[in-house]
Amino acid sequence: MDSTGEFGLDRDNPECRGDVSWANYRPCSPAGCPRDGLPSNHRCCLRVSFPESPARRLLKGHGSCLRLRMRGLTSWSSSLRFEGQKMDNLKPFLADVLSGVAAQYADIRVEESEETGIVYRGQELDQIGRSLERGGCIRVFHNGNWGSASFNQIDEKLKGLAKDVAAGVEALPAKPETLGSLPALSDSVTVPEADDPREVPLADKHALIKHYNDILLKTAGITTTMSMYHDAFRTTTFLSSEDRCITQESVYTGFMCRALTRDGTNVQDYHDTFGKTAGFSSLQNREPMVERIAKVAIELLKAEPVPAGKYDVIIDPLLAGVFAHEAFGHLSEADFLSTNERLRELMKIGTRYGVDELTIVDDGTMPGERGSFRYDDEGSPAQRTELIKEGRIAGHLHDRQSAQQMAEKVTGNARAVSYRFSPIVRMRNTYIEPRAFNIEDLLDSVERGLYVCGSRGGMTELESFTFSSQYARLVEHGRQTKMVRDVVLSGNIFETLKNIAMIGDDLVMFGGLGGCGKNGQGPLPVGLGAPHILIRNVVIGGR
Amino acid sequence: MEDQILSLAEARGAQAEVFGSEETRTVVEFRANEFHSQESRLTHGHGLRVVKGGRVGFSSSSNPDKVGELVDAAFETAEFGKQCCFEFPGPEPSPAVKTFENRVIVLPALKMIEWGRELVDAVRARVPGLKLDVTLDRTYGETVVANSAGLNKRFARANLQLSATGLLVNDGLVWISEFENLSSGSPPSIGALADRIEERAILARSRARLATGTYPVVFMPTAVPDLLYPLLVGVGGKQLEKGVSPLIDKVGRKLVDEKITIADNGLRDFGTASAPFDAEGVPRRRIELFDRGVFNGFLFDLATAGACGAESTGSAVRDYTAQPQPGKSNIQLLPGAARLNETLAGIRHGLLVHECIGGGQSNVLAGDVALNVSSGHLIENGKVTGRVKDTMIAGNVYEMFANVAAVGDTVRDLGSYHVPFVMFPRLKVATRD
Repeated sequence: MDSTGEFGLDRDNPECRGDVSWANYRPCSPAGCPRDGLPSNHRCCLRVSFPESPARRLLKGHGSCLRLRMRGLTSWSSSLRFEGQKMDNLKPFLADVLSGVAAQYADIRVEESEETGIVYRGQELDQIGRSLERGGCIRVFHNGNWGSASFNQIDEKLKGLAKDVAAGVEALPAKPETLGSLPALSDSVTVPEADDPREVPLADKHALIKHYNDILLKTAGITTTMSMYHDAFRTTTFLSSEDRCITQESVYTGFMCRALTRDGTNVQDYHDTFGKTAGFSSLQNREPMVERIAKVAIELLKAEPVPAGKYDVIIDPLLAGVFAHEAFGHLSEADFLSTNERLRELMKIGTRYGVDELTIVDDGTMPGERGSFRYDDEGSPAQRTELIKEGRIAGHLHDRQSAQQMAEKVTGNARAVSYRFSPIVRMRNTYIEPRAFNIEDLLDSVERGLYVCGSRGGMTELESFTFSSQYARLVEHGRQTKMVRDVVLSGNIFETLKNIAMIGDDLVMFGGLGGCGKNGQGPLPVGLGAPHILIRNVVIGGR
Repeated sequence: MEDQILSLAEARGAQAEVFGSEETRTVVEFRANEFHSQESRLTHGHGLRVVKGGRVGFSSSSNPDKVGELVDAAFETAEFGKQCCFEFPGPEPSPAVKTFENRVIVLPALKMIEWGRELVDAVRARVPGLKLDVTLDRTYGETVVANSAGLNKRFARANLQLSATGLLVNDGLVWISEFENLSSGSPPSIGALADRIEERAILARSRARLATGTYPVVFMPTAVPDLLYPLLVGVGGKQLEKGVSPLIDKVGRKLVDEKITIADNGLRDFGTASAPFDAEGVPRRRIELFDRGVFNGFLFDLATAGACGAESTGSAVRDYTAQPQPGKSNIQLLPGAARLNETLAGIRHGLLVHECIGGGQSNVLAGDVALNVSSGHLIENGKVTGRVKDTMIAGNVYEMFANVAAVGDTVRDLGSYHVPFVMFPRLKVATRD
């Protein structure tokens, strides 16, 4: 039997072309594949043995997945080793991989990361674990089309994978789009040694989160808790066919505490979280925050659901930051705008949507904030981008392609949640700039309304947004009165921006655990913040 | 490789379990009517759970050069780990379930692109001005579970899904989403998909107003998961173990309308979460969570079953980077007797809901929902009329499902949800109008 003949089953399948001559194989027995879950009548199961593998591991492949899986799985004992991941070892190899790609543009990004996670639920340590990840992503741009592949194995077969991606892209009908160009560059960004959480003993991390969890547990009235510690150290190596070569280290440490209270079927919870792109020590001495979590959770149990209706609302810095991110930030992401003329018209530079005092910024350069970095995942430098300046649309968030499409400047917003994904347009640290009013001024101008605090998350479908607060207090004649719960704000962003009446002077930035999700990529580390703001006539869903 | 990791861990005197997964994913995307990208993802990694001195440790890695560190990390965390209250299961036969179809596996990416193009062209011909995003997403994955009790199981799953989202700019933005589970190997039903998108686009052209009040509301199948999700959060064994589920002490009691029967079915052929065994190697099964309104019991993995004095229901879910947790597989809301046209004909003034945003953001554990109706229509004298905007439905799903007017007779396959429409006789609706 001729080897390519057996593959003839998929001969018309472009994914199945490729060199299989190095593999010896035989078809599965007619009685069926011995592997669990495969029907006995399937025809494309092959047994493949790899002569170069010392263990002569038997692999089985299925149809079109076979070739790709071979690349991913072949005897790892023969894979290239980059012990310690010294860039000097890896760079020439990756450059070699890129040099074999015939395309207008290509880049490759390899990440190595080490993470620690600890989760307490109630008195029990529920999860403790460490993960060691390594992988990468190749992207190829040619004739206006993108192709990409992510991988775990870094070995000689990567060269074949890169060529396959390029061949796949070349087979597509050409489009007139271009990418522009960036100059050659070589740079290396490192994290101070003192901030490296890998140097902190696991016992210390465990003791810290147990200490915060114990504060909650010792508070009378708390039914149970969940407390979470997370740290990550990541090294990313980026190379492009434009001769841009960047190594970037990043670090994150954060924690979250949640307190649950229960009275019969009434179950309430409140959480808060803190995190920095700084070392372990930044998480210490946070007891006041944890004590407040317990206090609010207990008070929530007595709070009543808010009656549905329209309210004047004062929004605290966290929820206002979520509002800036969810409701306006996502709308400024140019990957949507660049493909939709009417939407682009709505978001045209100079269009007025807010009061003169309103300025919304997305900034990747704020030291220590969670969404900060030196270069994005396309190797473009991070920068500060004004989205709304003095009430008018001032800018959009771009990756290289959307910037070309809209003839605007690259803003350094191309980000991928991990090596498994290609970068897409994402936010960094998004916030509303502070103005002159203090919180008392805001309260004084509310006759009957709500003071809305904390965030359970938010969602947008561009102009429509909805986000949930953790709790709120009624405001009557400028004074905060009783706590209410289940306060969910929704509306149309353009109308709501026009209804922003007052902006406070107390900007706070947030960067706790969690993150932003888009197109299946999440949670992406982002920062957000705002001062207190007052918005008139917001629709509140309630009972 | 799992054998190597397992023997390294066993050599250090521990009970151990290795969970390995390998996945090849091909994603073809169209954005705003144009082909955008073709992406593949090759992933593989291992998670190691060890039980040493009665405590559980865990680590994971995708880096084959670091097997030694992987094992070290698991033992390091075991020093602080949770007390172990279960035993790893031994070899036991798994039930049969169709989890992949050859036609899906051998499907060339170019064919996926062709299908996407056909759908874009069909919709463009019918609804000028609508911008369609289409994603065809195929995943082929193999999962292996091996442990010190002699279990060593492997299975393969292939999922193929088509999702489409149309954007119409018309008195604001109108989003129209469609989905088709193609895992059984049939080509997409382009005509039917285009029909549904066109129908919604026509309805979206006129605007209707609904004042804040209490109305009969019909949730179309696409919106039903937003209600089932909070209803089923409490069935997790973890929530029972921690004493936070509102369903504690409710087993055997009628909690919702008798028209409601909900099953967690890990053995549904070509369901996107189907498998012969769960993430700990325990055989999957079909579990009736609510039977004609009566709550039947919780979903357990090994650890929560051990803590609650129960047996695993084969409901462990995880990826290789995390320890298992009890979780849902494919959720089925069993069909009722109601026909959609007859149900709508009987409504004088009400709301039809196609899609919501904001699901899962409220206090879901308590069953609270606060949904922003992103695609909904006024029903007037039995006819579906214009689109309503800025409309919210808030309430508690246990209360909502306690009184159900009708459950549809036709089920839609939404991948991991298999559901008909549901009509509620009276729901509070908040609007700007």
